[in-house]
Amino acid sequence: MKRFDCMTALAKHLKDELVILSLGASVDEWYNAAPHMREASLFQQQLGCVTPQAFGLAAGLPDRRIVSLDTDGGMMFNLGILATLGNEQPKNLFVVVWDNECYQSIGGPPTHTASGRVDIAAIARGAGVEKAFTARTVEEFEAHCTAGLAADEPYVVVAKVAGTVQPDIKRKHSDGREDKYIFVRHVEETEGIVIMGPSEHN
Amino acid sequence: MKQSAVDAVIRGLKRAGVSIVCYLPDSLFKELYPALDADPDIRTIRVTNEGEGAAICGGVFLSGKRAALIMENSGLRASVEPLARMGLGAGIPVVMLMSYRGDMGENNWWAVPHGITMEPVLNALRVPYVVEREEDKIEQAIFDAYELAYSSYYHTAVALSGSIVR
Repeated sequence: MKRFDCMTALAKHLKDELVILSLGASVDEWYNAAPHMREASLFQQQLGCVTPQAFGLAAGLPDRRIVSLDTDGGMMFNLGILATLGNEQPKNLFVVVWDNECYQSIGGPPTHTASGRVDIAAIARGAGVEKAFTARTVEEFEAHCTAGLAADEPYVVVAKVAGTVQPDIKRKHSDGREDKYIFVRHVEETEGIVIMGPSEHN
Repeated sequence: MKQSAVDAVIRGLKRAGVSIVCYLPDSLFKELYPALDADPDIRTIRVTNEGEGAAICGGVFLSGKRAALIMENSGLRASVEPLARMGLGAGIPVVMLMSYRGDMGENNWWAVPHGITMEPVLNALRVPYVVEREEDKIEQAIFDAYELAYSSYYHTAVALSGSIVR
């Protein structure tokens, strides 16, 4: 199963959602697979922070559906967030874990899931996230997207994907700061709120 | 902490517009955490480590709500990676309120590293901070920390020490 094909399948289901996504080649793949979600998606560069940030966003915007596009390396870095989700039970957070069993962006050395012994969906269930599944085909994955985007409890799908990157992908040119401004302005416009407002006159 | 100091912290958080607090409990702030849990205007989120709490606070910032990360100062060390990436890489601020373990008067050997490392770590990250040891400074210090964090879009920190926490 290719990650890009999964992204294409997920993208069809997204319109008003906000997306926090992980580092590496998946960033450019996502922006190519879901160009209509460009302003609504924020790439975060640090392992272990994608799902926590998505959860913080979900806590702050309880009426908005938030999607976390995390990775096996990122989730293994901070398994504690699964316990936090298990306890907090956010009703508006759908978590996808791209599990390619390797640290792809640095050339592909194995992550802990490569052994075949470590099962992130099972860890999530053990942490109190009852709706946690593993998908091995695009059809299975898309069915979980439909269910996860409609769930009123945290929903995790671990997508077992190949360690390859979609060829000829257009690279994004923005850095973390520009991405943040793009995302924040989109949240402000769609929520009718001010996050980064004007300076004071004094 | 005395009840009056707990009240001052909560007054400061509310004046700054905070509605979500992430915390990993510690002993010096032990009276603060249940008071936050009980406050109807503040949602508390208990986290498994302070770095996770920092990242959740970053997400809350992106929602337009205001968050605080409350912890012992040892938690600063656990938060350095997400703080560096979010703050320096993206300009996503986290405001921290820490108990100052290892300050003058510390009576636990295990807390000495917290005192030795806190201010150098804050300085390494270029995080503006204040150390308050008097209760009547708490509310304004917290309010000011949010003013600067939301002008600079960078982290700020308030460390409470002295008679406030002992």
